[in-house]
Amino acid sequence: MAHFVYPVPANAQPGTAYSAQPAYVAATPAQAAYGTATPRPGQAYESYPAAHATTQYAYTTRTQVAVTPAVSYDQPKAYYQPAPAATAYTAAEAHYQTVDFYTAKPVFTTGAAGFTAQRPASQPKPPAVQVTTASQSYAYSAASTPAVNTYTSAYNNPTTTQSSISGTNIVPGYDAAVYSAASSYYQQQQAAKAIGTWAAKKPGTQPFKAKPKGPPKTPQLHYCDVCKISCAGPQTYREHLEGQKHKKKEAAMKGAATPVVRGGHNQLRCELCDVTCTGADAYAAHIRGAKHQKVVKLHTKLGKPIPSTDPVLVTTTGNSTVSVPKATSSTISAVGAGNKTVAKSTTSSVNIVKKVVATPKITFVGGTTLRTTGAKTEEVKAAPEPAAAAKPAEPMQTSSDDLKDDEHLNILGEKDVAPVGHEYIEEVRNEQGKTVSFNCKLCECKFNDPNAKEMHLKGRRHRLQYKKKVDPNLQVEVKPSIRARKVQEDKLRRQSQKEDFWRRREQEDRWRDEMRMEEEMYWEQHRRYDMEYMHRGPMGMMGPRGPFGAGPGPMIRKPESSDDRHVNAKHAAIYPTEVELQAVQTIVSACERALKQTSDVLADSDGPKPEEKKEIKKEEATTDAKQTEKVKEEPANTNRVLKGVMRVGVLAKGLLLHGDLNVNLVVLCSEKPTRTLLERMADSLPKQLATVTEDKYEVKRCVEEAAIIVTAEKEPNPSCTITLTSPVMREANTTEGETVSVKDPPDVLDRQKCLAALAALRHAKWFQARATGLPSCVIVIRILRDLCQRVPTWSHLSQWSMELLVEKCVSSGGPNMSPGDALRRIFECISSGIILPGGPGLYDPCEKDPTNALASLTNQMREDLTASAQHALRLVAFRQIHKVLAMDPLPPPRFPRQRFNNPRKRRHTGSGEGTEEGAEKKEKKEGEEATTEAAATTK
Amino acid sequence: MRGRGGPPMGRGMMRPNFRPGPPFRAFIPHIPFDLVQCESTFPRAKSAPEEKPFTEALLKRNVDLTPSAPEQASVLALVSKIQTILDNLVVTPGAFEAAQIEEVRQVGSFKKGTMMTGHNVADIVVLLKTLPTKEAVAALGSKVQEELKLLEPIEGKVLTMLTNDSGFEMSSAEASVKCLITTIPPNLKKLDPELHLDGKIMQSHLAAIRHSRWFEENAQHSSIKVLIRLLKDLRNRFEGLQPLTPWIIELLSHFAVVNHPSRQPLAINGAFRRSLQLLSAGLFLPGSVGIADPCEQGTVRVHVVMTLEQQDQVCFTAQTLLRVLSHGGFKQILGLEGNASIATEMSVWEGVVVTPSDKAYEKIEKKEDEEEMEEDADESVRRKTCSVKQYQNIQSICHPETQEDADES
Repeated sequence: MAHFVYPVPANAQPGTAYSAQPAYVAATPAQAAYGTATPRPGQAYESYPAAHATTQYAYTTRTQVAVTPAVSYDQPKAYYQPAPAATAYTAAEAHYQTVDFYTAKPVFTTGAAGFTAQRPASQPKPPAVQVTTASQSYAYSAASTPAVNTYTSAYNNPTTTQSSISGTNIVPGYDAAVYSAASSYYQQQQAAKAIGTWAAKKPGTQPFKAKPKGPPKTPQLHYCDVCKISCAGPQTYREHLEGQKHKKKEAAMKGAATPVVRGGHNQLRCELCDVTCTGADAYAAHIRGAKHQKVVKLHTKLGKPIPSTDPVLVTTTGNSTVSVPKATSSTISAVGAGNKTVAKSTTSSVNIVKKVVATPKITFVGGTTLRTTGAKTEEVKAAPEPAAAAKPAEPMQTSSDDLKDDEHLNILGEKDVAPVGHEYIEEVRNEQGKTVSFNCKLCECKFNDPNAKEMHLKGRRHRLQYKKKVDPNLQVEVKPSIRARKVQEDKLRRQSQKEDFWRRREQEDRWRDEMRMEEEMYWEQHRRYDMEYMHRGPMGMMGPRGPFGAGPGPMIRKPESSDDRHVNAKHAAIYPTEVELQAVQTIVSACERALKQTSDVLADSDGPKPEEKKEIKKEEATTDAKQTEKVKEEPANTNRVLKGVMRVGVLAKGLLLHGDLNVNLVVLCSEKPTRTLLERMADSLPKQLATVTEDKYEVKRCVEEAAIIVTAEKEPNPSCTITLTSPVMREANTTEGETVSVKDPPDVLDRQKCLAALAALRHAKWFQARATGLPSCVIVIRILRDLCQRVPTWSHLSQWSMELLVEKCVSSGGPNMSPGDALRRIFECISSGIILPGGPGLYDPCEKDPTNALASLTNQMREDLTASAQHALRLVAFRQIHKVLAMDPLPPPRFPRQRFNNPRKRRHTGSGEGTEEGAEKKEKKEGEEATTEAAATTK
Repeated sequence: MRGRGGPPMGRGMMRPNFRPGPPFRAFIPHIPFDLVQCESTFPRAKSAPEEKPFTEALLKRNVDLTPSAPEQASVLALVSKIQTILDNLVVTPGAFEAAQIEEVRQVGSFKKGTMMTGHNVADIVVLLKTLPTKEAVAALGSKVQEELKLLEPIEGKVLTMLTNDSGFEMSSAEASVKCLITTIPPNLKKLDPELHLDGKIMQSHLAAIRHSRWFEENAQHSSIKVLIRLLKDLRNRFEGLQPLTPWIIELLSHFAVVNHPSRQPLAINGAFRRSLQLLSAGLFLPGSVGIADPCEQGTVRVHVVMTLEQQDQVCFTAQTLLRVLSHGGFKQILGLEGNASIATEMSVWEGVVVTPSDKAYEKIEKKEDEEEMEEDADESVRRKTCSVKQYQNIQSICHPETQEDADES
């Protein structure tokens, strides 16, 4: 196992470290032994020091690597050999350093020596407990990076034979604060021995009291020094001395400092009365109080030094009574407040110290100092001067300077607190208008005493409320309760975790970026390769482009919206059926062929030179029935009367709707078409039709329309209107009318009809050029055609202007408009007043002169159209597009879900139709019922 | 509906779906038709109608709406005094204990120069460092009042101070200044509705600061200001346009005047007509891209503060007005003649009957329908499903100036 795990980091090591590998293996049994059997250190004792140190360290490494190589257990010699053990140590360390850092390696080797020297010192004393805790601390020290540096100094100290001192010296390795605290104590202790500035400390009370004890007791007054009371006579005095209360107090005094400390912190004690107060105000109240005054009087009487009467003495009293954490257990937590991770490691060392010195002072000083570092410095108090002097680098130094100044006044942090939030104290008055009590609105509490009010305003609870509710910037000292500390620790830990997380995240991102760049390069190369050698890159074959898709990736396809679905469904409903298309196709092709033959016949009969005649060249795309035929004329062919036939209108544009069975063809004539010509054609056409097809057709002439109407007798009865026109008609319009009119035959067909037919031709061409290719355009035009057929208001809008409008709207709306969007845009366009009298109108691109395609509309029509479109727009926006389209609302597609509303759906398609349609009719002012019904049924 | 896979596009990769609910679907807003933007597609097919009387009427109306010089002076005097007092409080934080002021800023129509006559109210936002307790606000109000009295003891003007939900208002006979209290953003989450002013109002005041800054930087063109005044007037007179907040009107005016392919500000007649056209074309309808709020993070379309019903109402009112306008009814629209009934009642213009538009919005009455609708990512549906409370929340956040300019109507 060790072999398996170890080489990985070892490979990353420099050669020296690598060579040390066997040594490491040799060392492992030791650590295994150590880890499994605690008594081992006792045995190892004999072979101490180096060997033991190794075990110790190996153990540490083990905890780090979490590998226990039981395999190599049978190599005990290495264990007892000091030299390999040392190298093993190095190796282990080096290995470890892959986790941390390199440079400390030599430091550690020297440290090993120091350690070996030091280790046994602390070891022998309390072996069982000590070993475990110490090793723990060791594991930690290996893990903490900053430890290494301090390590050397701590361990190279050859004078650290004294266990207590070495104990304290270990501390700085973990945390400067602890170290300083501990050693400050040490030095302070020395200083105290020399100078005797004990007064600053809690136990110092004892010497202080010793002094008053010194003078012989006045016999008249039976005064109990311990309880600070006087007794009326010797009898009572004796009784008192025998009493439980007194004994308790006495015991408490004689015992360690522990009993003095109450549960809380920051307490002020009146030494004189042996009363502990929780705050400065309480203390002040006490000083003012009758009880205290009594004691003072007594003491004055006794001629004892009275701390309380003298203002200077007050501070002494206060100072000496400041006591912070609770003995040993609180040391841990106090340390924890400073640095959570240190807590474990320091425990043992501090404990050592404590045991050796057997004084609670350590905990006191250490606790205060640490708490100060952990919490804000603002509440530092009573840190003894020597401590500050000894530790210049200590964070609390500044505050301790303050302390020197303020010490006499500012016993607790609270003292300097200014009362806040007067305005939230309400005075409750009685009938006489006398203030009877106060009510703090922030804390929702009541009190009667004006003094209490002051105290409350300064109090922590009030301040916290104030901070919470009024001014978040108010500084409220942190209550260093264990609970609060834990919360804070948690917070710190969470914070560090968060930071860690973000750091990692950042790294990942960076890495990802780099990867992406590489990937991009990779794909770039591939693309080039593909282009050069394979012409088309089988990108798909090369697998996915990885999770960090470079470049824009596939264009995000616009998801089909509800509007789109409705429009598409409606479109499907109005699209002509197969039968209809077939029928139309048949009649159109029959007419075209018949017309061609008619043309031939006419040309034969007219033309003197039949050989010269011809040639109508029809270029008909056979696949597309709706393709307009293009007529090509040979120059010689001018005599031919009927030059060609073209599809126009919905047929040419592919806008046939369901039920649309009337299609238009235009026959271009070389001259102005006359009634005679029409008659001749109409006569000839049936015969020709009979030749090209077996189907029966009825041919009807319609002179006023300048057209022949061919109707099939077969079922869907499609009809084809063949209009005669000639380009000459238009020229006549533009050029000099006179000359043309002179030439005009008498029975020329209606000019307007002919011009309309010509325009239809141009429109068909324009449509194919502009609209056919535009996404959604044709669909929307079909939809609007349907609308125009259904709704009377819209019927005024001519087919052509509608097409123009749609095309302009769709083409100006950006690429790839979805049908729903396009439809909405049309309504928006009309809504914004494009066809209203003040609007710009619609410029007709198929006319030579600027023409408004909407010119035929009256103002009222425009108004109604606009109003209708405006309403339709809002219906679309509010998801009622089905009302505009005269259809049932569609159920949501995809993601099939449990449909509890099935019956409802059925109702909709069946009986619900009536009501739905009714609503819609109201909406659209009587839509054409037949169409709606048809739409509903096809749906 | 939850936990169902979304559409096949890799949405998870792009944006983790934090919120449980219907599958995420990209909401691609619809860009409404805007005639000015596609003028090239719609060349004029006929000569432009005579616009001169219309333009003149617009300008005349603007003059009518602009407060007179004495009015402005009185407001200015009061504002500057209060501003001075508050500034002093900022500079000497010790002078006033109940609260600490971080910053004082003028906002609203007075600051923007779009004040309307008869509405001599200026707005000042006071940004507190401390939490805005009602007591602190009251104390600040009295403090300001005191100082004001010290400043002009002789005049003996009647100065009243009234506290309200948003702060306090100092009014003299001819002008009043609303001091809108808010607090620094970190404090917003500490607010307790029992003790402090409403957090949403606080946020709206913060937004008001942003708005006035944006305005200062972007909308200084006088056409915009004139248009704002005209549109505010329109809103005040036509009930259907009530849901438009001052902030929406400002953004719309800015959009109508400046958002133009040539970047040349439009003339006031064109801009006014365009505003109506934009509203009619459904700029503020659900699904529309609308106008993104420049003062909010992310893309917040300003019109979502209006309920669907209100959006419909605004739209159809504008549509009716647009039709009236195109039939030559500008005098009625501008309030120079007639009354507001043109928006709600049938009217005849040169033989053309203009029928007012009617509402199209229908409440989704059945749950089943809702289920159907949930499918769509469109915000109208999202809004429908979100509770009323949430919705009001959104509304008040995005309705910054409801406080600020509320009584302009």
